[in-house]
Parts: sequence; structure tokens; C-alpha cells
Amino acid sequence: MAGRGGRALLALCAALAAGGWLLGAGALEPGAPAAAGMRRRRRLQQEDGISFEYHRYPELREALVSMWLQCTAISRIYTVGRSFEGRELLVIELSDNPGVHEPGEPEFKYIGNMHGNEAVGRELLIFLAQYLCNEYQKGNETIIKLIHNTRIHIMPSLNPDGFEKAASQPGELRDWLVGRSNAQGIDLNRNFPDLDRIAYINEKEGGPNNHLLKNLKKIVDQNTKLAPETKAVIHWIMDIPFVLSANLHGGDIVANYPYDETRSGSAQEYSSCPDDAIFRSLARAYSSFNPSMSDPNRPPCRKNDDDSSFVDGTTNGAAWYSIPGGMQDFNYLSSNCFETTMELSCEKFPPEETLKTYWEDNKNSLISYLEQVHRGVKGFVRDLQGNPIANATISVEGIDHDVTSAKDGDYWRLLVPGNYKLTASAPGYLAITKKVAVPYSPAVGVDFELESFSERKEEEKEELMEWWKMMSETLNF
Amino acid sequence: MGFLWTGAWILVLVVHSSPIQAFPTPEGSQDKPVHNKELSAERPLNEQIAEAEADKIKNIYSPAFLSENKPGESNYSFVDNLNLLKAITEKEKNEKERQSVRNSPYDNKLNMEDVDSTKNRRLIDDYDSTKSGLNHKIQDDPDGLHQLDGTPLTAEDIVQKIATRIYEENDRGVFDKIVSKLLNLGLITESQAHTLEDEVAEVLQKLISKEANSYKEKPNKPTSKTESQSGKIPEKVIPMAAVQDGFANGENDETVSNTLTLTNGLERRTETYSEDNFEELQYFPNFYALLKSIDSEKEAKEKETLITIMKTLIDFVKMMVKYGTISPEEGVSYLENLDETIALQTKNKLEKNVTDNKSKLFSAPSMKGHEETDSTKEEAAKMEKEYGTLKDSTKDDNPRGKTDEPKGKTEAYLEAIRKNIEWLKKHNTKGNKEDYDLSKMKDFINQQTEAYVEKGILDKEEADAIRRIYSSL
Repeated sequence: MAGRGGRALLALCAALAAGGWLLGAGALEPGAPAAAGMRRRRRLQQEDGISFEYHRYPELREALVSMWLQCTAISRIYTVGRSFEGRELLVIELSDNPGVHEPGEPEFKYIGNMHGNEAVGRELLIFLAQYLCNEYQKGNETIIKLIHNTRIHIMPSLNPDGFEKAASQPGELRDWLVGRSNAQGIDLNRNFPDLDRIAYINEKEGGPNNHLLKNLKKIVDQNTKLAPETKAVIHWIMDIPFVLSANLHGGDIVANYPYDETRSGSAQEYSSCPDDAIFRSLARAYSSFNPSMSDPNRPPCRKNDDDSSFVDGTTNGAAWYSIPGGMQDFNYLSSNCFETTMELSCEKFPPEETLKTYWEDNKNSLISYLEQVHRGVKGFVRDLQGNPIANATISVEGIDHDVTSAKDGDYWRLLVPGNYKLTASAPGYLAITKKVAVPYSPAVGVDFELESFSERKEEEKEELMEWWKMMSETLNF
Repeated sequence: MGFLWTGAWILVLVVHSSPIQAFPTPEGSQDKPVHNKELSAERPLNEQIAEAEADKIKNIYSPAFLSENKPGESNYSFVDNLNLLKAITEKEKNEKERQSVRNSPYDNKLNMEDVDSTKNRRLIDDYDSTKSGLNHKIQDDPDGLHQLDGTPLTAEDIVQKIATRIYEENDRGVFDKIVSKLLNLGLITESQAHTLEDEVAEVLQKLISKEANSYKEKPNKPTSKTESQSGKIPEKVIPMAAVQDGFANGENDETVSNTLTLTNGLERRTETYSEDNFEELQYFPNFYALLKSIDSEKEAKEKETLITIMKTLIDFVKMMVKYGTISPEEGVSYLENLDETIALQTKNKLEKNVTDNKSKLFSAPSMKGHEETDSTKEEAAKMEKEYGTLKDSTKDDNPRGKTDEPKGKTEAYLEAIRKNIEWLKKHNTKGNKEDYDLSKMKDFINQQTEAYVEKGILDKEEADAIRRIYSSL
């Protein structure tokens, strides 16, 4: 009894000590000289303006500003809001017309470091931004084409507060514990409204599985349980008609796609969404270019890990393990955006020297995934006068998930190769169905001109009048 | 004939419009948003608590709990330390009181979910249409200190939970334990602890008055040695008295017990403590001396805080001894250690005039004398104090060598601007347009840097530097 009690007390004290230590170790790294030395070293490890080192918040900002200064013609920095501790959630946008949505140009986003201690994604995105700028100026045609035809948004860190916490930890304490959540202790990837649940209920009882959050801004702003970072991202998703997105994480190596939550509530179960086919293709488009992700003989990150659901470096989220409230499924169920989750490293916060290797491993994947936005079908929905119809519904026969057109009437529908029937409809308009043959890429252009009911009525009325006139003339009445 | 036309027209219309109805539209199902409102509703407390208890046990017995778990999963942060605390300290209690009752229904779950302890799903309550999956957040939160979607509980929730638990276990010590843990980790302040006490008392009174008839009123017998736990809160006195026997300090039973009668119901801790605690605290000479040395007027708050903290710790230790978690000898030596270290640390703290002693006080003492960690924690806290309040700016991570930083940054910016101008020049097919573009560029840069400074993307100095560079071209 005493022995056990003694052990317990010791563990308690250790835990208290650990807790106190962790709480006490604040913003400053214990080795200040090391930090200064690191900064001096930074300039040496550069390659074309990319320094393969960890960027804290000031360095992150600097890197983005440098990149913008180098490529002012094709980039723009903006912020979607502030973290709990007041750091800006910075985004760098790359496009031939930064700051403007060009009708018909798909929007794409990369988000990293949502878990503050999963650091590789954050760094990769900083490297990517610089790389795109460099390559553009070098005349790399693939990159030039991408930037001219896409509006790319890169958010290196959704949880800068968590990252600061994680980065301040010494050695082994880094990784699994500190810095994952935001400054309020909220796990951002469980903080999104759980639309999966609603979608599943609708599947059984009838109802939509897209755009499930109505009166969004009000609900979001009034919900006290949402972290400021979550709220900022939700507004961002609603404001910009994103088509494709990826959410970068760490702790394993796999490309994860919806749904992330099981229907039955079990811990593991393949739960496919209506767009399972395209998602598998998107995930593979990333994983196949990453040597470790696509390596069939790669040993699991930890001895007891269950990688049984991994296929070609990809996995259905719920088949791996079920989670509620994730950002990935929120995108799919509340907006037109298809998002996948990329786990990029076994170690969440690996040593700085490995960053260059991670970049080499992921560079091609990141570009390849970017290109996926130019697939399927895209076009405009207009009325007979040529005015755009916003918020029209575009449905695909056989796939129970619709997308909607954006403000300029433009829409994008990602699809795997095949023959499809697309229907565009809008309230007050007569729906039109068109057949489309979709190749792997590029996207096929299909426009719709919808006739409104009133127009149709007018037409019919006129015809009726014509007929009446003819009849009366003929029959003399 | 006219009718035929109209009929045909209507038919055509119907045929055309039917696809609209067949495909779900975003405007359809107006009544579904009702479910959205339920997203923020909470499950009934009993269920939450029951699940939290079950999860706690599961986590204790799961081999994967303390080792590294699946990535991207549980709510790892200081909450997990709390989990650990709770898990370990309550393990004994649970084993004694609940093993037979609780473990059997949950045995199956234990076996099944062993592989993946922190991502448990409840098959019950799953397809409840009025609740969203946010409920399942609770699986990552064994100690029940979190809401559905990961946000910490509000005060009212905590009050309810604690009151209910105290009531269920008929032991005021639960409150002490919980509050001391909360104080440990700095989750609540002293004043909040007092408010909490009052609120819990209120709620408890309500609960008790409901069941008033089924319990006999036991008189306040300070020296009674019975271990019976039933009845009202004053019964705290009894376990205290029993525990006192174990203390090798050679206490004066009556004095101590008199002290302990202060707890009649849940009275204000500070009041009673400040009145009577000096007697008990005489067994902690250093601490006592320290208390005396504090100027009551100037630092009354400090004094009260210290006293309360000390009391809480003592109660905590007593509880552990009572439940057999530690032996009386261990308890005594723990408290002796505590006395010394606390006195020392608090003195330093007070001299520095810092009010947030709590984490230090609680983390300082340890059975095996972790004095090294104490001093480093102090250091860390010092650093945190100095740097933690600074908002993140470029000045933040730069305690020395400030001249390196701006130089390096300006260099980088200069380099970037140079590349930009080069590229712009290359892509200007018409040579005579060069100068024109440059001035346009300057305007654009001025404009953008202004906007960026406003939005917090650039510092004022950085913006100025950039503008300077451009104007010098």
C-alpha cells in the first residue's frame, strides 16, 4: 500500500514538476546564445533565398515579406485574422493578378501547422512560396502556367501560438505534448462544427450533404466555443470560392481524405464520401511523388502503429481513425472546397537538419497536387442575357454532392475521367442538363445558359397571343 | 384548343421543373438548420461525468496512455498533465470504491479499445439527432474538464460537476482535491477558488436539502474517530481527526480538532483559516515565521493566499494519508519538506512582489528533493515574466545582438527588391517604358507598404526601409 502510494506521490510530484516546468518555460528559448547563433547561421544555409531552418513568427513574416518584395507582380500578403495571442494568420497569395478573383480562375489553398507542434508543413509552405517565386522568375513554364491560371493561397501556419510554444521546448520534450493546441488549449482540428454528423443523419432521413451551414456568419461569430483561429478560417472559406485545398500535418506519413468520422461511431471504419473516387485520385496525386509516402515497404512510424488502411500512401480518414470536428470534412460539407489532409513526417518536430530532405521529398508532390485543381469540369452559369447566375447548383448524376457557382457564375467540378451528366439549376430558372466526357486533365469547359420561368412564361404568352390573333383573323372574330 | 395549348405548356413546364426538385439544392430542407442550433447544446451532466469516469479508468489501464499515441489525436497540452494527476491520485480511490461496480460493465470496452485508448468512441448516444458529434470530444477528455469541442469548461459547469461529485461521494475532501489541482496548474486563481467554494456550497445545499430526510444529522463531534462518511459536510472533521493520529508531530488533539471544526458546511476558507489556522500552522515553523513577517496591511492578499494554499496542501496530504495513498510518515516528511521549500520560495517571491506564486509553490516540494528543478523553474518563470508578456514582434526574440537582426533583414529585403527590379526590367519589352514603370512601381510599393503596416503585416521601420530602398533606385 505504501509502496504504491509512494510511487503515486512521486509520479504526482513529477507531473506537477513537469506541469510547472512546462507552464513556466515561456516564450524564450532557454539557450538565447544558441538562438542568436542560429540566426547568424541562417544566411549561410540559403539556397536561392530559401533558408532551410525553422522560422519563428518574426522570421516567418520576414520570409513572406522578402518573397513578396521579390515577386510584387504576382504576389500579395494578407491576413485572415489573429490568433488568440494576437499573431497574424498570414497568407501569401500567388496569382497573375493578386488580390483579384478572375472569373473562371480556380482558387486553391494550402494550410500548415494547424497543430503547432507539427512543424514540417509550416516550413514546407514557406519554402514553397519562395520556390514558386524563384521558378516563376526563372521562366519555369509549368510554374508560370500554374500561377497564371490559378489563384494560390498559402497559409504557412494556422496556429502560430502553438508553434511558438512547441519551438520553445528543449530537445525531447518537443513533439507530442506542447504546442499542439492553440493558446486556449483548443485542438483546432477538433474545433470545427461537426457537419459529418448532420450529413450522416441526412443520408438516412433525406437531406443535403453540401453547404450545410446556413446563416453562417452569425452562427460563427456568436459561437463562443470556436477558437479565433477557427473562426478566421471559416470566414475565409466562406469568402473565397476555394476549389481544392490541403491541410498539412505531422506525426505520420500518408495522404488522408474524407470522411474523417465514421458513420457508426466505431473507432475505425472506411467511411466514403460521395466523391470518394476523385479524392482517392487527388490523394494519390500527392503521395505518388513523395518517395517515403508512396513506398509500399515503408515501416510504420512507430512499432505498434496500425497502417492497415494505407493504400499507395493514401487512406480514408475514418478507416485510419475516426475524428469529429476536423477542418477537412468541414470544407467539403460547408463549401465547394475539396480538402485532404497530408501527414508529412513521422516526427512532429524533427531536427532542423532534416528540413532540406523533407523539402526535396515533398516539392514535387506539392506542385502536383496544385495542378489537380485543373481537372474535371468548369464553366459559367448565366442567364439568357449573359448575366452570371451566382449560387446556381451544379449537380452530377450519380454523385450525391453538389457544388454551387460563385459570384461571377463560375463553377468548378473536380471529377475523375468518365462520362457524366451535369445539371445546372437555380431557383426561378429552368434546369438544363448536359452530357460531358471528362479526361484526366485539363478541365473541360461547359457553360450553361438558363432560362428563367418568367421568360418562359412570356414566351408562351406571346405564342398564345400570336395563335389567338391568327385564329381570330382567320375566323373573323 | 386553347386548353390543349395551356395543357401542353403546363406539361412542358412540369417536365422541365422536375429535375429541379429531384436534385437537392442549397435552398432545400429549410427545417434542417434546426439541427445546427443543437451543435452548441451539451449533453446532460450525468452522462458526461459518467463517461469521464469511465474514460479515466480506461486511460489508467491502457498501456498506450503514457506512451506516444497516434498522431494528431488527443488533446495534448497541460490538460494531459491534469489527466495524469487525476488518473494517478484517484486510482487508489477508484480501486477501493468502484472497482467492483464500474469495471465489469466497462471491461469489454477496455479490451476492445486497448489499441487506441485516446480515441474512444461511444456506441451509445451516437445517433441522437438532437446532438452533434461534438459530444464525442469527451473521449479525449477523461477528467471531464473540457467541453464538447475542446474548449475548457466554464465556471458554472465546474461548479455543477464538483457539487454533484461531492454529493455523490459525501466527502468534502473531493472539493479540496479538485481545487488544489486546479490551483496547482494555475487554472484558477485564489479568489476564483473562494468564489467556487461559495457556489459549490450553494449548489450542494440545494442537493442536500432535497435528500434531507434520508440522512440523519450527525452532530459535530470533533474528536469522534468514526470513519463513517455518510451525512453532511461537517463530517470532514471526522476524517481529519482520524488522520491526525497518524502524524508523528505529536499534535495536540484538541487544539487541532478545534481548528478543524471551523468547517461547518462550506464556509469561507480565508475567514476560518485566518482565524484558526495559526494553531495548526505552528507545526510548520518556517512558514509560520514567514507569515508573521508579512506586513498584514500591505500584503494581506499575499498572506491570505499563502495561508489558503498551505491549508489546501495540508488537507490534500491528509486526504492521501487517509485513503492510504501514502503512509503517515511519508505525509509528515512531505509536509516538512513542503514547509521549508515553500517558506523559502515564497519569501523570494514576495520580495520580487510577484503575485502569481501558485505554480511555484505547488511544484517546488517533492519527496525526493527536486531542488534543481526548483531553481530552474524559478529561472524559467523569471524569463517568462520578462518575455512572456511581450507581444510577438521582431524585437521579441532578440535579447542581444540587435544590430545583427535588422541588418540581416534589410539585406534580405534589399536582395529581394534587387531581384524584382531585375526581373521587371527583363520583362519590359519596350525599353522606353522602364522609367515610367519604376515610378509606378514606387507608388505601388508606397501604397502597399502603407496597407501592410495598417494590417500588421509589416513594421513601421520595415516599411520605411523598403520605401527608402525604392526611392534610392
